Amino acid sequence: MNSLIQRFAGSSSGIELQKRNATVVDDDGELSDVMWGSMAGFGSLAKGVPTFTVPSVPDPAAFLRLHTDDHADPSCRIKIQHGTTTLAFRYQGGVIVAVDSRATAGNYIASGTVKKVIEINPYLLGTMAGGAADCQFWETYLGMHCRLHELRNHERISVSAASKYLSNLVYSYKGMGLSMGTMICGWDKTGPAIFYVDSDGTRLRGDLFSVGSGSTFAYGVLDQGYRWDLTDEEAQELGRRSIYAAGHRDAFSGNSCNLYHVKERGWEFIGNYDINKLHYDGPGNGQGYGYEVRVEGKTSAVAA
Amino acid sequence: MFLTRSEYDRGVNTFSPEGRLFQVEYAIEAIKLGSTTVGVRTNEGVVLAVEKRVQSPLLESSSIEKIMEIDTHLGCAMSGLTADARMMIDHARVTAQNHAFTYDERIKVESVTQAVCDLALRFGESVHDEEALMSRPFGVALLIAGIDELGPQLYHTDPSGTFMRYEAKAIGSGSEAAQSELQDKWYRRMSLLEAQKLTLRVLKQVMEEKLDHHNVQLAQVTPEKGFEILDEVRLKEIIDAM
Amino acid sequence: MSSFNPYTQNGGTILAIAGADFSVVAGDTRQSEGYNIQTRYAPKVFRLTDRAVLAVNGFAADGNMFVKKVKQRLEWYRHAHAKDMPLRSIARLIQTMLYSRRFFPYYVYNILGGIEEDGSGAVYSFDPVGSYERETCRAAGPAQSLLQPFLDNQIYFKNQQPAPGMSHPTHLPLQAVLALVIDSFTSATERHIEVGDGLEMYIILGKGRGLQGLEGVKGVQELTISEDGERIFVVRRELKKD
Repeated sequence: MNSLIQRFAGSSSGIELQKRNATVVDDDGELSDVMWGSMAGFGSLAKGVPTFTVPSVPDPAAFLRLHTDDHADPSCRIKIQHGTTTLAFRYQGGVIVAVDSRATAGNYIASGTVKKVIEINPYLLGTMAGGAADCQFWETYLGMHCRLHELRNHERISVSAASKYLSNLVYSYKGMGLSMGTMICGWDKTGPAIFYVDSDGTRLRGDLFSVGSGSTFAYGVLDQGYRWDLTDEEAQELGRRSIYAAGHRDAFSGNSCNLYHVKERGWEFIGNYDINKLHYDGPGNGQGYGYEVRVEGKTSAVAA
Repeated sequence: MFLTRSEYDRGVNTFSPEGRLFQVEYAIEAIKLGSTTVGVRTNEGVVLAVEKRVQSPLLESSSIEKIMEIDTHLGCAMSGLTADARMMIDHARVTAQNHAFTYDERIKVESVTQAVCDLALRFGESVHDEEALMSRPFGVALLIAGIDELGPQLYHTDPSGTFMRYEAKAIGSGSEAAQSELQDKWYRRMSLLEAQKLTLRVLKQVMEEKLDHHNVQLAQVTPEKGFEILDEVRLKEIIDAM
Repeated sequence: MSSFNPYTQNGGTILAIAGADFSVVAGDTRQSEGYNIQTRYAPKVFRLTDRAVLAVNGFAADGNMFVKKVKQRLEWYRHAHAKDMPLRSIARLIQTMLYSRRFFPYYVYNILGGIEEDGSGAVYSFDPVGSYERETCRAAGPAQSLLQPFLDNQIYFKNQQPAPGMSHPTHLPLQAVLALVIDSFTSATERHIEVGDGLEMYIILGKGRGLQGLEGVKGVQELTISEDGERIFVVRRELKKD
């Protein structure tokens, strides 16, 4: 039990890392003799929770903030990609997960085709908001653990346990500068479940979440349309519409919407929808989401 | 087999004057007390069969776990001190997952076998930067079956840390009789179904009790479905067809 | 805290485009710091294997060291697993290597280009701490905001309507891609002070593809080492030196 606490509760993890690094001459711990074969590499489970190289300065977290945090200082050098509107809600038919696909590095749109839903395994999904690398890396790492749990216990891991594992993991790096706001979604023995986990250590079970810079816009549409007994089509439409609203109004969100549906037998990818097309043409069989459709033909000019 | 018990067979890390590590050799002997396990490789996949050795009718035979999955494309069967195998199999699982995590691909069968064998010699006293796992050698042999880009493969590992690739191999108490039977009956273009029948027939010959679907377990690795342990219904079908 | 500032920006620009069965990875060769040109020839694009090329941009010291470390890991993998790393495994490896320095990042924007296991051309782009994505084309560096919109229009045909009854091709032929790369760099050189001096283009061709698209190109130098089938070439051009 003690070793668990040692590994997963690390409020002084920064200082601990400093001490560990002071004794390491070669900063690449991954290159030890025994480890060059199959256990080589960063993130190897044999070495427990990964330890990171940290600069030998009095306050490593401030160093990282100085050089990479573009919210505080837009002229910082290292621009890390951030991801931006994600949502998930659960209802009678499972869980709907909808995300946008824009990644920004400062004010530059680094990519319009980012996959912000991470397929942890065939029945668990994780979303990406905050630092793209943090989410991608840790959620793939979580996938590795979920698979080991399955092999060791002959049973799928519950969404609660998977989210707890992730939350404990990032808690040991609390304060060091990770930026991650993710929703772990799946269907387990207790039914459909969503857990919000972030890099501050928050872990919350809930029915409906939206995360990211465009989340306020998405909540507007989501809160208004959400009911437990939606049909599958209505639920998918709600997810799509909410991401469209966020992509339309938030500058840091947009490009396209990726829609997933988690059912009892696992998740299913519903489709990728270009947000600009959704504005004019809708999802394919009818009206555009943009308000042009609703004001068509009407005018405020006084009849002559 | 060892008629002379010399003074050199006590220390785990002591070589004898003839250059033998007796403890490791005795560990290999320990496997001959274990239940019989057979593996056969074909071009369609690899078959593993174990004798469960149900000691009493009150024993819940489904709780005996002698074949374990390492990953979707890898599995293994054990013989000897099966408790020792848990550590090795967990290490194999962790290695396979690490490899998939770091390289986004399935690990090769030979690589995971090598990883398991790397554990074999980590016994005795701890060295400065390497922890000893156990105070004695492992007393278990594994038959590792898997599929990778080189096709279906079967490997045998033993406590000395060596591994060899086999087309067909039997280990455990009935291994001598079983191995000669395999040598007789195995041929290169065997189908998976024929291999299943062969392994069961070989087990039937060396088992003391009458073979039925409660006291053996059958598993296979195929390119289409990966590693699966056959359930009782399918096992019964194959036994009845024999 | 007295500023510990180990980073600097060395300018330059890199670009990669994936075709149906080839990949082109290009970079200029100017290395600068602020208003000074440090050297006219500092390569930013490196051959990793016969089917993978890595281009690095940002802080040159971190970039050069990172390439060395990647090459080391490729060699170890080759010894451990008796095969070359497939491209998507190299991409995942780069992610884990970059992420291991999450709290003291490599100030490098990487673009990996090459041929996947299924023979298709692929480009993977990374941010400095390891998030990555497979794409058809990507430009990185100070002139990326000049090049990427041009490529979005010419490669992805964004904001272009096809002729009636036709649709846009999903992949362009090699000749067209080489022309686009050269035009991109000459234009970037005109409008960005940190781009210029020379251009190096690495062309990786899939197995059995033949050399169509390379005829008539001057100064093609082959770098292929193994006989596996993929071939790799480099073409150098001058860019304006002012």
